[in-house]
Amino acid sequence: MESIKQNPLVKKVGFNRIVLCIVLILMYALFCALTGGSFAGTRRILSALNYAYFLGFLSLAVTFVIATGGIDFSIGPVMFCCALMAGFSFTMYGVPMGGALVISLVVGIAFGIFNGYLVAYWDVPSFITSMASMNIAKGLASVFTKTQSVSWPQSSQDGGWFRSLVTLDGIPMGLIILLVIAVVCAVILNKTKMGRYILSLGSNKEAVRLSGVNVKKWEMSAYVLCGLLVGIAAIFFVGAYTTVQPGYGDQYNNEAIAGCVMGGTSMAGGLASISGTIIGVLIISLLQEGIMALGLDKNLQLIITGVIVIVAVFADVVARRRKN
Amino acid sequence: MGEVILTMKGIDKSFPGVHALDHVDLEVRKGEVHALMGENGAGKSTLMKVLTGIYKKDSGTITYEGKEVEFHNTREAQDAGVVIVHQELNMLGHLTVAQNIFIGREFKKGIRIDDKKMNEEARKLFDRMHIDIDPKETMSNLTVGKQQMCEIAKAISHEAKVIIFDEPSAALTEAEIEELFKIIRDLRDQGLGIIYISHRMDEIKVITDRVTVMRDGAYVGTLITKDCTKDDIINMMVGRVIYEDPKTKNMTPPGAPVVLKVDHLNAGKMVQDVSFELHKGEVLGFSGLMGAGRTETMRALFGADPIDSGDIYVNGEKVTIKSPQDAVKHGIGYLSEDRKRFGIVVQKSVAENTTMADLDEFSNGPFINKKKEKEIAEKFVKELDTKTPGVDQLVVNLSGGNQQKVVIAKWLTRNCDILIFDEPTRGIDVGAKNEIYKLMNQLAAEGKAIIMVSSEMTEILRMSDRIVVMCEGKKTGELDISEATQENIMNMATREIS
Amino acid sequence: MANKSVSKTAGTKKSFIDRMGGQQFIVLIIVIVMFIFFSAMSPGFRKYTTVVSILDYSYYIALMAIGVTFPLLTGGVDLSIGTGLICYSLIGGLLVRQHGMPVAVGMIVTILIGIIFGIINGCLVALMDLPPFLATLCTCMITRGFGAFVVGGYGIPWPAAGQEGGWFRSIFKIQVGGQNIPIGFLWIILLVVIMSFVLNHTKLGRYTRAIGSNKEATRLSGVNVRFYHVMAYVICGLFAGLAAIAYSAIFATVQPGSGAGFEMDAIGGAIVGGVSMSGAVGNVTGTLIGVFVICLLKTGLPFIGLTANWQQIITGFVLIAAVLIDILKRKKEAGN
Repeated sequence: MESIKQNPLVKKVGFNRIVLCIVLILMYALFCALTGGSFAGTRRILSALNYAYFLGFLSLAVTFVIATGGIDFSIGPVMFCCALMAGFSFTMYGVPMGGALVISLVVGIAFGIFNGYLVAYWDVPSFITSMASMNIAKGLASVFTKTQSVSWPQSSQDGGWFRSLVTLDGIPMGLIILLVIAVVCAVILNKTKMGRYILSLGSNKEAVRLSGVNVKKWEMSAYVLCGLLVGIAAIFFVGAYTTVQPGYGDQYNNEAIAGCVMGGTSMAGGLASISGTIIGVLIISLLQEGIMALGLDKNLQLIITGVIVIVAVFADVVARRRKN
Repeated sequence: MGEVILTMKGIDKSFPGVHALDHVDLEVRKGEVHALMGENGAGKSTLMKVLTGIYKKDSGTITYEGKEVEFHNTREAQDAGVVIVHQELNMLGHLTVAQNIFIGREFKKGIRIDDKKMNEEARKLFDRMHIDIDPKETMSNLTVGKQQMCEIAKAISHEAKVIIFDEPSAALTEAEIEELFKIIRDLRDQGLGIIYISHRMDEIKVITDRVTVMRDGAYVGTLITKDCTKDDIINMMVGRVIYEDPKTKNMTPPGAPVVLKVDHLNAGKMVQDVSFELHKGEVLGFSGLMGAGRTETMRALFGADPIDSGDIYVNGEKVTIKSPQDAVKHGIGYLSEDRKRFGIVVQKSVAENTTMADLDEFSNGPFINKKKEKEIAEKFVKELDTKTPGVDQLVVNLSGGNQQKVVIAKWLTRNCDILIFDEPTRGIDVGAKNEIYKLMNQLAAEGKAIIMVSSEMTEILRMSDRIVVMCEGKKTGELDISEATQENIMNMATREIS
Repeated sequence: MANKSVSKTAGTKKSFIDRMGGQQFIVLIIVIVMFIFFSAMSPGFRKYTTVVSILDYSYYIALMAIGVTFPLLTGGVDLSIGTGLICYSLIGGLLVRQHGMPVAVGMIVTILIGIIFGIINGCLVALMDLPPFLATLCTCMITRGFGAFVVGGYGIPWPAAGQEGGWFRSIFKIQVGGQNIPIGFLWIILLVVIMSFVLNHTKLGRYTRAIGSNKEATRLSGVNVRFYHVMAYVICGLFAGLAAIAYSAIFATVQPGSGAGFEMDAIGGAIVGGVSMSGAVGNVTGTLIGVFVICLLKTGLPFIGLTANWQQIITGFVLIAAVLIDILKRKKEAGN
């Protein structure tokens, strides 16, 4: 075991990521076997990918916040709030589709600013701001839409062009966009000042502050970036599932956090992996599709992701304990 | 002195990479106060942690009351009568004094905790110690000195036979120290064995009967206090390590310009009306008791804590410092007493820590220039002789002294001309200590201005050109090194201010 | 850090407000002012039935809040109480409705499952060292999925008043001459008295507070910290179970998938009532008073023309305001 870990190639790719990839492949094989082969084929894969798009953006979003040592479990409801407010503006107020997409991003960023400001400048614990903005997002969306659900246009309808962001002539555009943005996120995290400061302050905020760095600004920037990515996630959610209902969305929090912590991002902050997050998201998406394909209760997904997060975080706790 | 109550023989303890205790011996008799001496990092605290069951020893024997024992946790040690009064107070600030004293062994009436009886018992303990503390007062409302008395009361209430005092006087005023000594003598006369850990040579002479000296984790020897001189003890503590020669006169070039002037600085209770000047090429020592407000002054001056009033001048110009960002902008760098919490990001590499304060300089737009970063980090690793396998090494894997060098590199990268060293050698082993001293002298000679906060008197006298003394948040004196002695510094540090 | 805030002089003169119980006293006045405000604004509010409905709402929130006060005092939190409440109630109700068990058995099972999840939370936090908000966020999702999974996605109506087994609804409300008498309030008061005693006069309460004040020092004093840390969550689970019964007794049907957000009302109430997010400070009476601020908002806002959705938004801001006050208060203390 140790010798595998010390192999230079394994070290470079990351042991954790290799294990995750193997898990992903085994899961796929398992579902194929359990469904008598009907799981194989592009239909199921495309369906799983549809799920992976919005979840991928959500998971990338929360990766930045967790890297600072915080948490955001308002992302699911905020995503719904973005989709509802943008969609309602399109269907009821005649805002053009381009404008609606911008509204989605703006709403996401606004929540990011709200959360980030309270956490960074007022020292409010991040789980409290999460809890508050989760309810504010739900309430705001309900008030704005007068508690109606909103359906985004089909591709043949007026404004339906936005669906080409998800699939264009059979090409999974969503996957391309997700991977491009993931690369951008990886560059931000590993190659820029912003990423360096986010990771460092997640590891030891006070030391970074005493180095003369404006930690408040950088901590808040992680939340704002998170908000922007949640706004993008909203577009891909409706691109795949069309209809959104006010008052929901929190089931996706845990799945996003699960993808993130499975991928090797530490809940204690300071350590994050974008590629790990993406693989984690693929696992969760495949799991969701598998549960559907097997005709199991979709509530199982909630239970399983809950257990996954507990196990992943506990593994992180044990790893840190051993280091000290 | 009575019969032997506790013997530790050949105690050995290793941590990964460090041989913390190397066959250490210690013997304590009933009715004696036994001093345990040694410089920072000599292994005193580790030895006491082995004794009270916090650490497990690798080898050696502990004999207590004639039987070989091994305590597995503090509870077992307490129950047997070996109690430690910690340097960092282990108190529950939200609970009352009596609740603190009896935590974990409350008196009960049925399922109900009998607070009334606990208060009475606490009162009895305080009467025995001849001190006046209200058992019903909330712990966090007491002064540090009173809290210490509560810790002692707690120790006595355990029916202790051996009490360990770990630097008990570090935070106490002179009157409080006298009170403490009275209590310790009382306990000694009742036949208890007392282990007394302190840095203060004067106290050792006053209160202890015997002294055991440790150095680099090893046992050096045991002396009868009244038969030995301070120099004997110091020689045993320092051993073969050759330190920088102590300064006897101010080495600052005459007419050196004032680079930092602090005028009537106020920041909370711990910093009241502090004024001083710092010259180019000078090492300005800050002495005082624990809690005298030295660190608080430095943090306020550095913008880490808010300032209430007062002016700061850098190179003759008045500056506004509201955050560490402002301070760094004006060329001030701060090396905290608690490196792991305030100085370095341990899970990041040497290079990343080196450029932490000056990342803009090593970036093109938003992107970090990792090549340039690596170059500067390697340059300082060489210049400061930092021992690390490479600049990509995580700082957590470095020793204390080398971590301190990384912090120094951080501020040199930023070209800071004013460096504040807060307890620069705390947690650094004896050998590396001198390297840090040399480095500080070298920096001063190169024209950096240095403030050094230190609780070690020897360090203050060894390094400073001038010395500022603080007590209870106020500046109580300023001395040139040529006129400074331990005695007059101590006088200023314990001056009661009305 | 604790050492920094200790140099206050003893025996400082207490202000009038402090002598009256500090924040609790202020919050009590806020409750009264709010009541007067809503009464003045809306004639519909000034009715006996409104008072009864405020109390109806208050039971399950108050029970959750009393419970969650314990994890909060240890410096942790329990986010699973809201969805947990629904889960326990669904399982208990299912036994009564589909398996013909007596209501009393259903109630006991409801409470037992609450305790079991309390033990799970406690183990995750105290034994496995997971961050409390994360561990309980997971159990929040797990209880939600578990409840819905067990009942197969359908709502469960506990027996209505008058039906067989409907007697349990009269635990909280009895009818005398056509008038509803909200006797549930007496139970709440009784439980507050009991839990105040537990918190202030037993080892369990003392150590709960001690863990929140300084866990390491408590451990070094020889206290079995792990056991008492787990117990704080067990109490929370027990009270979530009691809250589940109150919820089942007040509302006609229990819907799977609901319950998210209830925990915010409870935690918000506790914090408004003076329980500190950083642990050790606060008590059960304060929590109860704080809960009434939340309940008045919940029931009062519709009377001045704001929908239930607004009330969700406003509760969010109230929570943040209460936490901010707590943070500012601590900063001020540290500054002294």
